[in-house]
Amino acid sequence: MFGTKALRAAQHAVRTPSIKFIGKRTIPAVVDHTPQPHPASPTKTLPASFLSSHATFSVYRDHAQQFGPLRKTITPNAGIGGSPAVALGPVEPPQGVYFDRNDLPERFRRQPLTPDEIEAIETGGGHLLYRGSYL
Amino acid sequence: MLSQRLIGRTAVKSAFRPSGLPTVVNASRWRRGYATEADRDLVIIGGGVAGYVAAIKAGQEGMKVTCIEKRGTLGGTCLNVGCIPSKSLLNNSHLYHTILHDTKHRGIEVGDVKLNLGQLMKAKEQSVSGLTKGIEFLFKKNGVEYLKGTGSFEDPHTVKVELNDGGETRVTGKNILIATGSEVTPFPGLEIDEKTIISSTGALSLDHVPKKFLVIGGGIIGLEMASVWSRLGSEVTVVEYLDQIGGPGMDTEISKNIQKILKKQGINFKTGTKVLNGEKTGDGVKINVEAAKGGKPETLEADVVLVAIGRRPYTKGLGLEKIGIELDERGRVIIDQEYRTKIPHIRCVGDATFGPMLAHKAEEEAVAVVEYIKKGYGHVNYGCIPAVMYTFPEVAWVGQSEQDLKKAGIPYRVGTFPFSANSRAKTNLDTEGFVKMLADPETDRLLGIHIIGPNAGEMIAEGTLALEYGASSEDIARTCHAHPTLAEAFKEAAMATYSKAIHF
Repeated sequence: MFGTKALRAAQHAVRTPSIKFIGKRTIPAVVDHTPQPHPASPTKTLPASFLSSHATFSVYRDHAQQFGPLRKTITPNAGIGGSPAVALGPVEPPQGVYFDRNDLPERFRRQPLTPDEIEAIETGGGHLLYRGSYL
Repeated sequence: MLSQRLIGRTAVKSAFRPSGLPTVVNASRWRRGYATEADRDLVIIGGGVAGYVAAIKAGQEGMKVTCIEKRGTLGGTCLNVGCIPSKSLLNNSHLYHTILHDTKHRGIEVGDVKLNLGQLMKAKEQSVSGLTKGIEFLFKKNGVEYLKGTGSFEDPHTVKVELNDGGETRVTGKNILIATGSEVTPFPGLEIDEKTIISSTGALSLDHVPKKFLVIGGGIIGLEMASVWSRLGSEVTVVEYLDQIGGPGMDTEISKNIQKILKKQGINFKTGTKVLNGEKTGDGVKINVEAAKGGKPETLEADVVLVAIGRRPYTKGLGLEKIGIELDERGRVIIDQEYRTKIPHIRCVGDATFGPMLAHKAEEEAVAVVEYIKKGYGHVNYGCIPAVMYTFPEVAWVGQSEQDLKKAGIPYRVGTFPFSANSRAKTNLDTEGFVKMLADPETDRLLGIHIIGPNAGEMIAEGTLALEYGASSEDIARTCHAHPTLAEAFKEAAMATYSKAIHF
């Protein structure tokens, strides 16, 4: 009985510090980006213009830019990155459908030929010699 | 067919266009297409503490960043005409004063002691130039583009830069950060000429020690400059509108104590006194004052008057009206919790917006704003920003003051410990001041820490860490502190808060 008493007393004597190791810091899974008053703002309010310019979070996302526009279509459920690449199906076009090279970004598109280049090809280069620009 | 034509074309290129020949193909066809027209991830207007720290952080995060600064040197007010030069003068004037008045009873007798003000200023300039050039090196190291010029908004994504060397350029950014800082608030009717009526900038580079030095404003800047020139030989008077010195943030008990200590050092105070007006006379300035609550007017004469009534945000010439960014009644840029203005890709940090005008607060915000842009999450705890006044002894505090707690009706417990009972302070013969802790009576969680004493500015770091982590006074009291150190006074104050101090 005395032993139990002593143990209980010892348990109470163990101090729990207020500071706790919370582990490596991580970005919270859900961050609310809806405009709120700044913590140091003396009025603790935002002007109406803030609210009207992006009244809802989705409106804000449509306007905001961060390494390009933050489109609301980029969500976990839809749009680019919304589903794993393997689930997107084959990259080949379906039967009877052809990709147009001009749909690709500019640097992959067909480069237009200049009249000088066409002439150079047609004449096997003789055009340039004739013009004298090669000499 | 297509591939044949392309092969043919490539062959033509290689056969007919060896280097040095006229270009047949238009070079613009080879220009790379970008997703948006903005070509920088971040454009920062202002290369002060907020701006340069944000620029370096952005560079470290792999962003393409440009920093625009018109001063010609980086570091802003803090490095060029604020914290850094003032600390140089405070440190060296303290040494001079110590040699002149304090070393004899410590057993060191010094012969003829002379002040070389020119050399004192040179030492200050050396510190400043070393640090500002250091930032330029850090810019290069972190891939930050540095434009010397004045930036102003042309549209929400374009900043026009009038270059210091002549000409102008335009930079576009997906994100733009306003970090233009603050400037001295002028006193109506007193024109600052930086010779007889001076701002803090002028107070850092006077070419002589004025006989009578009057300071309007008993805040931190005013008291630091009052200390410098008092130590160098001026007869100093500080006029303060409020009933206490050190500004409204300083704990009243601390404020009263430091006023007594500074008074003993030879600085005169006129608190609760309103400056009515002033005028330049032949070789000085006359300032008319009266009691703030009304009373008999009085005229004070001085050779030099320092106007140190505060600072105001500096956004002049930025063209904010052109893009519709709003300022509050004090000229601060209105922002939300992620430092966004009402145009979300334009953000603002530092003195130009809300919060205390402190360099370390601006630095915290600079890191946080880049993290918000890059990662969507940043952190600044506005309840845990330390403040330091570098007089001797120093004054430092973090968290809430006793008057704040009283006003908010928050219960608290107080614990104090004087440096006169601290062994290290006794050996140093610097025993003025004390540590004061405020904690919640129920949970013992720290609410505020206030220190007057030697090295208080360094010691407050421990208190700030404790407050940030939500420590109790017992947590500090049960942490082993080395002996003999000034920091033991900190531990003992914590002991006095939750229980009893050993040495007092």
